[in-house]
Amino acid sequence: MAYPGYGAPPGGVPGMQQDPLYGYFSAVAGQDGQISADELQRCLTQSGMSGSYQPFSLDTCRLMINMLDRDMSGTMGFNEFKDLCQALNGWKQTFGSFDRDRSGAVEGHELQQAIGSMGYNLSPQAMNCIMKRYSNHGRIPFDDFVSCCVRLRALTDQFRRRDTTHTGNASFQYDDFIQVTMSV
Amino acid sequence: MAYHSPYRAAPHVNAPPDQSFLWNIFQRVDKDRSGVISDSELQQALSNGTWTPFNPVTVRSIIAMFDRENKGGVNFNEFAGVWKYITDWQNIFRNYDRDNSGFIDRNELKLALTGFGYRLSDQFYGTLIEKFDRQRKGQVAFDDFIQCCIVLQRLTDVFRRYDTDQDGWIQVSYEQYLSMVFNVV
Repeated sequence: MAYPGYGAPPGGVPGMQQDPLYGYFSAVAGQDGQISADELQRCLTQSGMSGSYQPFSLDTCRLMINMLDRDMSGTMGFNEFKDLCQALNGWKQTFGSFDRDRSGAVEGHELQQAIGSMGYNLSPQAMNCIMKRYSNHGRIPFDDFVSCCVRLRALTDQFRRRDTTHTGNASFQYDDFIQVTMSV
Repeated sequence: MAYHSPYRAAPHVNAPPDQSFLWNIFQRVDKDRSGVISDSELQQALSNGTWTPFNPVTVRSIIAMFDRENKGGVNFNEFAGVWKYITDWQNIFRNYDRDNSGFIDRNELKLALTGFGYRLSDQFYGTLIEKFDRQRKGQVAFDDFIQCCIVLQRLTDVFRRYDTDQDGWIQVSYEQYLSMVFNVV
């Protein structure tokens, strides 16, 4: 899963100015064309990306930035922002299809199904770890669901990069393991 | 290297406290006199130097570390461990808070963790501060510093469990990796 370049070339990408998302992005980004976690939080709320759900927490926004942050700058450029919005729309759709009563939260077993429907084929034990981590009295609100999806995607990407033989096994050196795992 | 020798608290400079001294403290902290110090009682007794409540996640971790009976609190016997644990951390924190600001900034954090044996990139310290600094100051207070170290230690522990030949490398399947991470962080 290769991520497109994370910055915009000087002058921006062609057509960028017409992109409705660019309006929201540039409203919070500074001269450097990058946004930090709290600016992302504002941006996502203003652009309605959280839909009818509660706005994303700062923690989740931080995770989102880290998911796409190749240079560990702690900020996100417009191209990355677009990638994020695309992913968010997908997750929103998945969540919506499981939150049938529109309560803003899904239940444990629905989280399991949602994760499966996104193509992750996890063992019961792995799913248990995830459910323990996110379930709040058996319910998982949208923000936590997104947090989980972001981390799954980031971790999967990190894992794939180290699975050089494509056997589903990856090698981690200790210092690398610490840093990779903590930044996700 | 932090990996091969688990980082130890600063050399033990305090003589073990005497029982009546500890008992005095215990009684003051155990406000409802239940004989067990709960999370909230411990939280109220601890200070992070910011006039805001001590990190409840850290409080939970500390109680869980010493609560041998899974009762959700610590009795007097277990409290001795808690007291020493906190005192050790206070010494470490003071030692690395070089400018005595009451906070550990990015450079001081780097000194501390490198001193513990971790080998982490410069940018990563920024990530750590972002992740653990609840005061939004760009520096970590006492409780958040402890929390950061606790999580690093947990990751180290889980890594060790898989590194059976102790060479600093592990090979894990995708699912093992996910379970490791979601269990700890």
